[in-house]
Amino acid sequence: MTRETIALKIKRQDAPGAKPYWNVFKLPYLPHANVISCLQEIQRNPVTADGKTVTPVTWDCNCLEEVCGSCTMLINGRVRQACTALVDILEDPIVLKPMSKFPVVRDLQVDRSRMFENLKKIKGWIEIDGSYDIGEGPVFPEKIREKAYALSQCMTCGCCLEACPQFTLTNDFMGAATFSQVRYFNLHPTGAMNKEERLEAVMKSGGIADCGNAQVCVEVCPKKIPLTESIAEIGRETTLQLLKNLVLK
Amino acid sequence: MSKLTKEDLHFFLLKLHSLTGIVPIGIFLTFHLAINSLRTVGVRQYQFSIDLINNLPFLFGIEVLFIYVPLLLHSALGFYITFAGRINVRRYPYYHNWMYTLQRITGAVVFAFLVYHMGTTVVPKIYYGKELFDAAPFLIDAMNREFQTWGGRTLYLAGIFSAVFHFANGLWGFCVSWGVIVGPAAQRNAGVVFILFGLVLGLLGAATVVEFSLHPVPVAPSLAG
Ligand code: SF4
Repeated sequence: MTRETIALKIKRQDAPGAKPYWNVFKLPYLPHANVISCLQEIQRNPVTADGKTVTPVTWDCNCLEEVCGSCTMLINGRVRQACTALVDILEDPIVLKPMSKFPVVRDLQVDRSRMFENLKKIKGWIEIDGSYDIGEGPVFPEKIREKAYALSQCMTCGCCLEACPQFTLTNDFMGAATFSQVRYFNLHPTGAMNKEERLEAVMKSGGIADCGNAQVCVEVCPKKIPLTESIAEIGRETTLQLLKNLVLK
Repeated sequence: MSKLTKEDLHFFLLKLHSLTGIVPIGIFLTFHLAINSLRTVGVRQYQFSIDLINNLPFLFGIEVLFIYVPLLLHSALGFYITFAGRINVRRYPYYHNWMYTLQRITGAVVFAFLVYHMGTTVVPKIYYGKELFDAAPFLIDAMNREFQTWGGRTLYLAGIFSAVFHFANGLWGFCVSWGVIVGPAAQRNAGVVFILFGLVLGLLGAATVVEFSLHPVPVAPSLAG
C-alpha cells in the first residue's frame, strides 16, 4: 500500500491559559518521516486541510536523537518524543497534543520548569566547589558505575510524570524522575557527601511518601530507567533517615 | 528531632497511613477473618471466641486505640491520597496501574461497608452498654439474618473481598514504599506471595459466609455470662 498523503490533527493553543482548538493538516507522504519533520513541513507551509493559512505550529526540539527530552508530547494519546515517532509506524491521522501535566506555553510547547525546580530542591549536582579543597574524587566501583550510568540517562523529558496518576497539574508531587536523581547523585562517592540533604528534600509534602506505586513511570520511560527500583531504594533510605532523625538527632 | 514543620508532618502522616494499614488494621483483619471462620467448625466454637473477646479486660480502650482510631486515620488519609491523584488506567492499562486503581476503589468500598457493618454490630454494643448487650447471641442472630438474603451475602462478600484485596495489595505497596523489597525480581516475587496470602484470607471469609448461609443455627444466651 502506498500512501499519498498523511493527516496531522494538532491541538493548538495561542497563549498560556488561552482556549485550545484543533487544526488538521494534510502533508505529502514521505518515507522515513518523523513527527518533527512533519512539523517542519507545516512550518514551511502552514495551510490547513480546508485551505486556511494559519500561524505555524510551535513545538520544542533540540537534539533530534532522543537524548534531550525537549520534544516530548502526546502522540496518538501516548507520551513520547516526537523525534523518534516514525510516521511509517503511526496510525493515521496522527494526533498531536501537548503534555497535559505541564502548563502549555503555546501549541505543543509546555513549561517543564517544575522538574527543574525539583532538581534544584534535591541538589541535583555534585558539590565540588567550596571554601576548602575537598580533594580528589574517590574511585568509583564498576558495579556502582554501571547502575549510575543507567540513571544518568534521564533527560528530564517528563514522560514518567505525564503518565503518573499521582502527578497532576495542580498538586506538588515531585515524581519518579526526581526520586531517581536523588538515588543517582547519592550513588556517587562525592555526591554522597550531601546524601542526607537530598533525602530530606524528598521527605516532604509531594515527596517520596506520596508515591502510590502505580508504576506507570517505568513503563513509559524512553530511556528504560529502573524507576521503580529507584523509588523503592529511596523509600528504604528515607525510612532509615526518618528513624535516624527520630532517635539520633 | 528538630521542629516539626507542616512539610515534615505531611511525610509523617503518609508514613503513618501505610503503617496503620498493616499494624494494627491488617493484623486485625487477619484475626477477624480467621477467628470468624471458626463458625465453619461449629457454632459453639464460634460463640466461645466471641465471648472470649468480649470479656477481655479494657476491651473498649483496646478497640478505640487499636481499631477505631487507626481506621479513621487510615480512611481519612486514604481519601486524601486518592483525591490528590487522577486515575488514568484507561489510557495506561498496565498491571500495577490496575492495582493502584483497584486499591483506591476497594478502599472506598470497604469504607462504605464498614459504616454498615460497624453500624449494625458495634453501634448497638456501645448503645446498649456491656451489661445489657449479650454479644454472642446478638451477633450470631444478626449474621444469621444477614446471610438469609442474597443482598446480605453480596454485601458481605463485596466487603470481605475488597478488604482482603486492599490488605494484600497494601502489604505489597507497604513493602515497596518502605524499601523492604527493592529490585524488580523481589517486587515480583513478593507480589506472588501476597496474592497467595490474599487468596487464603479470601477463602476463610468466603467459607464463613457459606457456612452462615447454609446453616443459620440460633444460639442460646452467652456461655460465659
Ligand atoms: S526518568 Fe525517564 S521518563 Fe522520566 S524524565 Fe527521565 S528519561 Fe524521561
